[in-house]
Amino acid sequence: MSTSDTPAIACRNLWQVFGPSADKALTEALARSGGDTNAAAADLRALGYIPAVQDASFEVREGELFVIMGLSGSGKSTLVRCISQLLPGTGGEIRIDGENVVGASKQKLTELRRRKLGMVFQHFGLFPHMTVAENVAYPLKVQGVGRKERRARAQEVISLVGLDGREESFPRQLSGGQRQRVGIARSLAVNPDIWFLDEPFSALDPLIRRQLQDEFLRIQGSLRKSIVFITHDIAEALKLADRIAIMRDGKIVQIGTPTEIVLQPVDDYVREFSKDVAKGRHARVASVMQAGDGTRGPDDPGLTTSMTLDAALARCMELYQPVPVRDASGAIVGTVNPSDLAAALQVDDA
Amino acid sequence: MSVAADVAVPGAPRLTVGAQAALITALVGALCLALEPMAPWLGAWPKTWVLPMTDWVGTGVSWLLDWIKPVARLFSDIMVYPMGWANTVLNATPWPMVIGLVTALGWYLGGLSMAALAFVGLGLVLASGYWHEGMNTLALVAVSVPLALVVGGGIGILANEVPRLKGAVQAVLDVMQTVPTFAYLTPLLLLFGFGPVVGLIASAIYAAPPMARNVMLGLERVEAEIKEAAIMSGGTRFQQLFQVEIPSASKQIMVGFNQCLMAALSMVIIAAVIGGFNDIGWEVLLTMRKAQFGPSLLAGMVIVIFAVVIDRMSAVLATERKRYDLRVVWAVLAFAVAFTVLFWSSLPGASEVAMLDGVAESVDRGLTRFTQTNGVALEALKNNTLYYVLLPLRIGLDQAVLPFTWGFMWTPAMSAWVFGLGAGLGLLLAWRGNLTGGIVTMILFGMIETGVTNLPWPFVLTGAAALGYVAGGRRLAILVVVLLGTILLSGLWDRALLSLYLCGASVFACAVVGGAIGVASAIWTPVWRVVRPICDMLQTIPLFVFLIPVLMLFQIGEFSAFLAICAYAVVPMIRYTRHGLVDTPEEMMEAAISSGATDWQILRDVRAPYAAPTILLGLNQTILYAFSMLVIAALIGTTGLGQSIYLALGQADVGLGISAGAAMAILALIADRLVQGFAEERRKALGL
Repeated sequence: MSTSDTPAIACRNLWQVFGPSADKALTEALARSGGDTNAAAADLRALGYIPAVQDASFEVREGELFVIMGLSGSGKSTLVRCISQLLPGTGGEIRIDGENVVGASKQKLTELRRRKLGMVFQHFGLFPHMTVAENVAYPLKVQGVGRKERRARAQEVISLVGLDGREESFPRQLSGGQRQRVGIARSLAVNPDIWFLDEPFSALDPLIRRQLQDEFLRIQGSLRKSIVFITHDIAEALKLADRIAIMRDGKIVQIGTPTEIVLQPVDDYVREFSKDVAKGRHARVASVMQAGDGTRGPDDPGLTTSMTLDAALARCMELYQPVPVRDASGAIVGTVNPSDLAAALQVDDA
Repeated sequence: MSVAADVAVPGAPRLTVGAQAALITALVGALCLALEPMAPWLGAWPKTWVLPMTDWVGTGVSWLLDWIKPVARLFSDIMVYPMGWANTVLNATPWPMVIGLVTALGWYLGGLSMAALAFVGLGLVLASGYWHEGMNTLALVAVSVPLALVVGGGIGILANEVPRLKGAVQAVLDVMQTVPTFAYLTPLLLLFGFGPVVGLIASAIYAAPPMARNVMLGLERVEAEIKEAAIMSGGTRFQQLFQVEIPSASKQIMVGFNQCLMAALSMVIIAAVIGGFNDIGWEVLLTMRKAQFGPSLLAGMVIVIFAVVIDRMSAVLATERKRYDLRVVWAVLAFAVAFTVLFWSSLPGASEVAMLDGVAESVDRGLTRFTQTNGVALEALKNNTLYYVLLPLRIGLDQAVLPFTWGFMWTPAMSAWVFGLGAGLGLLLAWRGNLTGGIVTMILFGMIETGVTNLPWPFVLTGAAALGYVAGGRRLAILVVVLLGTILLSGLWDRALLSLYLCGASVFACAVVGGAIGVASAIWTPVWRVVRPICDMLQTIPLFVFLIPVLMLFQIGEFSAFLAICAYAVVPMIRYTRHGLVDTPEEMMEAAISSGATDWQILRDVRAPYAAPTILLGLNQTILYAFSMLVIAALIGTTGLGQSIYLALGQADVGLGISAGAAMAILALIADRLVQGFAEERRKALGL
């Protein structure tokens, strides 16, 4: 079993290229460009290949909620399909709990999916000929779990997602939100360690989406899975993520916490995303605080490091002098100047 | 026609592909016409240039057949048993039980209306006195369908599992669907000998492709995410396929089941031509040959009843269906058993019922009276169509116009007039800016003057290649030329042109009439309400049955064949035309209305262009339908390839049978590719 410092998922230099004998084409392109991945990708494109994922490297820690964000066609869905080995991966390495899964045998992959992986799909992927209970119990059925036992476990997860009473319904009789609850329940049936969610809420209308996001956070709060979550919605990414990877044209352009993405975008592309985002709702006081017990005024509006900028600013609307910031335990860990808070909220006109 | 060239040259750089193709065709045609007196080989392909391909095919296939004959004979010996069982079971079961069973099944599948259909339908079969013949036919279907399901389903799954095979399987299925039904029979006859097994095998072979196609399509259409969900659930490939993908595709597979049943029934009836089995198709053929139209209609009705009942019942499977109370099923069955037991001794034998014999006789008498009283009108209709439409199309105005038919003699001056008229019209069109239309008009005039069967072969090849080039580029043009060249070399060219002419005439008639009915149905819903059930009916009726009424009214001959083909092939034209027109997106209609367009303007400027690709697909279906009916129509007197296939069957001449069948398939294939190409081009132009 993995120790706590082994990442749940580790991808190194992962490529997914589409086209005839892509493996060979990739090796040759990399050799020609001398390891310059951008040049290799351009080379492949010129030859008619599609490099959907280029040289992706990242780690997902145990219990972390890792969000991959990008516009449609940026390769995010391809990336998650590589990790879950629905696509073979053209080059690079994927380790799940320290074990390389690229090129693993069919049996091994089946075994892995039966024990460790769960996946939720954008359009739910429910089996139309099975009831809710049968859908949820299916991953157990293929393993040969007895009818009674799988029925009991299915009931457990159905309750977890709040679908009690709909066990005997067919997918076509459910609303979109309910269907995705079934999808979530099914993916949790085998109690996987690693949970893939491919734009799970994108097909739902905004109200239901928010409701399911909140429930998802509640479920994750109690289960602490290692999660790869795909979305094209920056607000959703910022709301849910521990860390976010932003993808563009098959490349990961930035990986960081929501605050980092909002306050320190690496390039215009990322900045463009965060432009419309109310930064005050996502950035924390810690990001603008000066550490240490520096000079400060007489006022103490009671700021803490984990407070959002919006909340902090509301407390020091009429203050001009630097104020103290406390950590969770109440000890003063730094100071912040109210004018810095306001400056951080400025929308940059890049 | 050289005038066209003079006009077109100044604008040469601006010529469209279509205009260029038309121009070249016109030039070749004109050249052939001009040079034919000096070089007769330009007109008809000389006999000495013909390769004995038919013989080669015959020798090759016979050798192959000899080789697999032992296996085939063994198979046929084995198949005798299930056929015997099915026969015994269906014939020995008391008829109240059979009717009760089918009625109960009808209720289970579709409730009261379906049960009523089954009850009334089988009641009529009983009353017709053809109960046993009908049961013999059903027995054949009952054995051939499972065979076709297993083979077709297996092929479909295999193609799905081994993607490399998909292309090949698809191509084979395409070919199998274009090869005319009769053409299957000759080699099978050689393999299995005379007897019902040939019909069984033929119908299984004929019915397997629709199943395979639908299984492939269904599996392909299963949502990617459903397949992925099955993988991520940790299912093995076997589990994924049988627990998730096939059940998810069940609707499409049921469509395949329905088509499979209908194809099997249709083929079993056609196979009756070779005889040896006392079934309902044979009965139709026999009575038709004896000109006993009453009984022949009655037997035809039995076939239609079977077709309708089987079709409607199995079609329900492919839809979202309600559950009907099972208690009714048991009640119906219990009643049937009780009825059988109580009246066992007093029940008449199934074939002794024959309550409709009187009806048949009076139909016969009535018909005789009708044809006698209206003989002149019928004869006039037939002769007018023949003399003024079909014959000129076939052999050209210069040969068809005789004092005997048109009342005067055709003179070279008249030919000049026709050419002049064509050239004038063509020039007018070209001058109005439609160059392609102008040249095509000239070509058409030239064709009417010459007649389809007298067209010089270089002209046909060039014309087909030009069409191919416009429809699908160089590759299609080459394919068309190679395929037609094969027919030319094989010596079947004359017969192919005959088939082409009759098919062309029927398709043209279908396009005009069907198109008009389709437009009317699209505009006035009441029309569609009348037309729709007729279309449903015409599509359900096995091909064979179409021959009965035309034969009754117009006797054997080309005109009867023409009518039978039209009756069968007009349906897709109507359906697709209406569907295309009705299908115009609401937004486009609203945009047109808010622009202030009248109904007529909307139809002409918005709906018709939008519907064009769909209508072309309808035309394509019509062509394929016409080809498949053409072969059946050989039974009532056509010339051409259909007749060759039929003759080959009678003489067990496998070389001729297969070659003529292949030639027919080639014609159908070319027509299919050309029209599909044009439809595709239209779709692209509309951005669909």
